[in-house]
Amino acid sequence: MRCTREIEVRDLEEIAINLDPIQAGGRLTPEAMKAIIAYGDGYSVCDNCRKPFRLDQIKKPPIDSFHRDLAKFVNMDEARVMPGARRGFQAVAGTYAGKGDPVLLTALSHYTEFLAIEAAGGVPKEIPKDGANRITADAAAAKIEEVTRGHGSPPPLLFIDHFDYQFGNEHQVREIAKVAHSYDVKVMYNGAYTVGILPVDGKALGVDFVVGSGHKSMASPAPSGILATTKEYAPELLRTTRVKGDVTGRSFGVKEVELMGCTLMGATIMGMMASFPAVKERVNRWQEELTNGKVVIDSLASIGGTSILSEMPRRHTLTRVDTRGSFDRVAETHKKRGYFFTSALADHGIGGVIPGATRVWKFNTYGLTRAQCEYVAAAFRDIARENGIPVS
Amino acid sequence: MLSDTMSRRAVDAVFQGLFALTDIRVVLRRTAPRHELSDEDRQAVREHLADLKREIGILEEELLR
Repeated sequence: MRCTREIEVRDLEEIAINLDPIQAGGRLTPEAMKAIIAYGDGYSVCDNCRKPFRLDQIKKPPIDSFHRDLAKFVNMDEARVMPGARRGFQAVAGTYAGKGDPVLLTALSHYTEFLAIEAAGGVPKEIPKDGANRITADAAAAKIEEVTRGHGSPPPLLFIDHFDYQFGNEHQVREIAKVAHSYDVKVMYNGAYTVGILPVDGKALGVDFVVGSGHKSMASPAPSGILATTKEYAPELLRTTRVKGDVTGRSFGVKEVELMGCTLMGATIMGMMASFPAVKERVNRWQEELTNGKVVIDSLASIGGTSILSEMPRRHTLTRVDTRGSFDRVAETHKKRGYFFTSALADHGIGGVIPGATRVWKFNTYGLTRAQCEYVAAAFRDIARENGIPVS
Repeated sequence: MLSDTMSRRAVDAVFQGLFALTDIRVVLRRTAPRHELSDEDRQAVREHLADLKREIGILEEELLR
């Protein structure tokens, strides 16, 4: 079936259980799907934009109050919607990293954090992970000391992911923020895998900036996200334009420089807003999500030669698994080679695992029903047994 | 007068119909991949289909008169 002659309908979510690690938290709510039907046109939220002509001031639809609600949701003072978490990283780096300044991130940071620092002219410096693939406050302190010795002053900024994208491991955000602040280093919390799926309290964590991803964890279309900060840093991070055209003398009102003025002007913000009531409610069901995910983890762990590479017990629904001793052994002699596994999963109506992956791969059970998790768990065991892999 | 020809009812019916289909789409997602519906799911789908048929009726009345 096709949307147009060249564009196929995407019906993966309707015909299969999708385990893709980055897509789980961004699946739309019914409310967002309906809002997008009505607000798909380009500048659709601008029908009632009035002075001072800025997105976060629009009252109809109630985008202004949505911004206040977003700030409350992550317990910060000010929030803005952004075209993805990456643009939040960029705004923070653009404000606080000068040319040649070292900026701390971690050995598990997402590439867009590196690019944000690079775009600002900063120099990324990685805090190493420990043997359990976790970032600790001790490692952060050591790196701050090392960078300070080399640079002559502490780095202006540190980026820390609460849960990383590689293992879905939890890192010592609160402790790292405390250490960083003792050196006057500002802290940006990367909540791409948390804001919208589990409770996040920026002030309790002691961070200066909270960045979240709408399309990764807030049941929203891409690109969308949030950037939140404290009263202390809002005037700098959300500074307004001051320039004037030298010929025309034009100035540009209250447009915020790091945001390039307005950010999400149509389907993206309306999708976020429409999903928001459900998102606020679903973060309270995080334990249930972990319990459902455990069904799949236990199934994989019961398959001989398979090991869970993420920290155990799981504290996130994104998990990295090593099947070199199980499904990859089968791939060595199977006529479909590495594709046998994703092909077998597809036969069970399961998608989202990278085609051909049989060695180390990731999956995410977020948002699946208990029945769907049980189905996936049974499918993994069935595929193992069908291919002669012992299952305990 | 514009209001003599404009069909507000038809416009609303298009959106309401699409929303009813969206609700059915969500049932398909929640029950993937087997689409084995519970009694509750079936009742919900019945209601969404009834809504959809009503909106189609409005569209026929308004646009094919």
